[in-house]
Amino acid sequence: MSVHPPHRAATEKSGVCLPADLVIGYGHALAAVAEDISLSRGTHYLLARNGRGKTTLLRTLAGLIRPVHGCCSVAGHCQFISDELSFDRELSSKLLLGSLLPRDRRREAFEFAEELELDLKKAFGKLSTGNRKKVGLLLAEFSIIPNSANVVLFDEPFTGLDAPAREAFQRRWHAADDNTVRIVSCHPDFDGMKMQSAVLITDERISYGGNGVRSWADFKTQLN
Amino acid sequence: MPIFKLTLVTLFARKAWFFVLFAAILLPLTLPYLTPHETNIRLLEPARAQVAWSVAWLVALLWTFSSAARLGEANARTGLGAYFRSRGVGRFRQMLEIWMGCMVYLLPLVAVTVAVCLTTAMPQMDAEASMWVTTNLQFALLFFLAVAPLALLCIALGSRFGAMVGYVVPLTLCLYGLYGVNYLGMMIRLPGENALLEWIYAVSPHYHLADLTPRLVFKLGSLPTETFGTLLTYFLGVTLVVATCSTTLFRTEPLKA
Repeated sequence: MSVHPPHRAATEKSGVCLPADLVIGYGHALAAVAEDISLSRGTHYLLARNGRGKTTLLRTLAGLIRPVHGCCSVAGHCQFISDELSFDRELSSKLLLGSLLPRDRRREAFEFAEELELDLKKAFGKLSTGNRKKVGLLLAEFSIIPNSANVVLFDEPFTGLDAPAREAFQRRWHAADDNTVRIVSCHPDFDGMKMQSAVLITDERISYGGNGVRSWADFKTQLN
Repeated sequence: MPIFKLTLVTLFARKAWFFVLFAAILLPLTLPYLTPHETNIRLLEPARAQVAWSVAWLVALLWTFSSAARLGEANARTGLGAYFRSRGVGRFRQMLEIWMGCMVYLLPLVAVTVAVCLTTAMPQMDAEASMWVTTNLQFALLFFLAVAPLALLCIALGSRFGAMVGYVVPLTLCLYGLYGVNYLGMMIRLPGENALLEWIYAVSPHYHLADLTPRLVFKLGSLPTETFGTLLTYFLGVTLVVATCSTTLFRTEPLKA
């Protein structure tokens, strides 16, 4: 049984490849890829019920854990935004983002934070759960390297986020003309949420859920 | 270097550093007046040097170590370590960036200590003054070589076992090296051979060798070049051992329960 970390390549074209022999899990198999899945630029939702391996798959792609079998490839500058990502409680979001973001992206990030109604001067520890999530999302979004291949892995970014903020991010992703693959694990709270592309984990199988104009209502019946 | 920048910003925002800097400047100037200096005014200068370096040790033991342990724990616990690893920032580089951030705040304190000694406690005689400068610079380098690797160990242990272990273990090691080893040395000089104690003494970190306070207080002069070279080699060896242990121990994510 061969075990390999993800193959990372800083290519001109972003993409994620999950070959059919990939098995993920912590020591023992949790889910396996049914047939080759290739994800190119755009937003792809990762859907599964609790404990089926969404976070494990994202962590495997990020190179944080090794696959149980096989290997996967991630082409582009990778970022994994964990569900639990947090920062020093005493630092304000402005200081946090100011120290972590590239200088030329800060202004744009602060403007978007204003649109999200995030108080940049407030200490991180005093922000609500949803507002804390926004800081992580802003960090990921504005750390994307322009004119370069990027892969951003979001682990349940919408948990605790209000609908206007979630929609603002979705609009931004939809309008983005960047060379970026975004994989977003989530549990949508309304049936009408459109998902042009989705990867499903069900019955210990990782499969591609289709490409088109399907919504959460279409996908959720497939999950068990 | 995002983690380095974040560490700088975090320590700056906590504000404790300003109190530490304030104490490093103010205490050497005020505490010596608690000595019976009226009887002998010449006591003031060595007392200032003693207080200045004692404050430097205290700051290292209380503030630098605790800050380093907290930062190591936070990097693993908050998910930032995993985030930066996904961005391709490896374990060693993460640890190094946090350590560098801590050192940026420690170095000015060492500089302030030396400056206080050179400006407020400088001997009058030229020969003594020259020795005084050399001794203080030797002390500064040895002090840094003793404290800096232990701060690295604080970060590593903090990331693996939490801030409490990350602080207490290096603190105990430092106190043992500063004071405990001397007691052990006295024990093995007593009649009756004890090979185990002698072995423990040999492998113990002799941090007391980095404390040149008695040389300043009693004006014993600077260390001879050869002795200083031997001490530098010894502390570089200790640094190598501590850095290796720290690199092995450092984690970007906390241990799962």
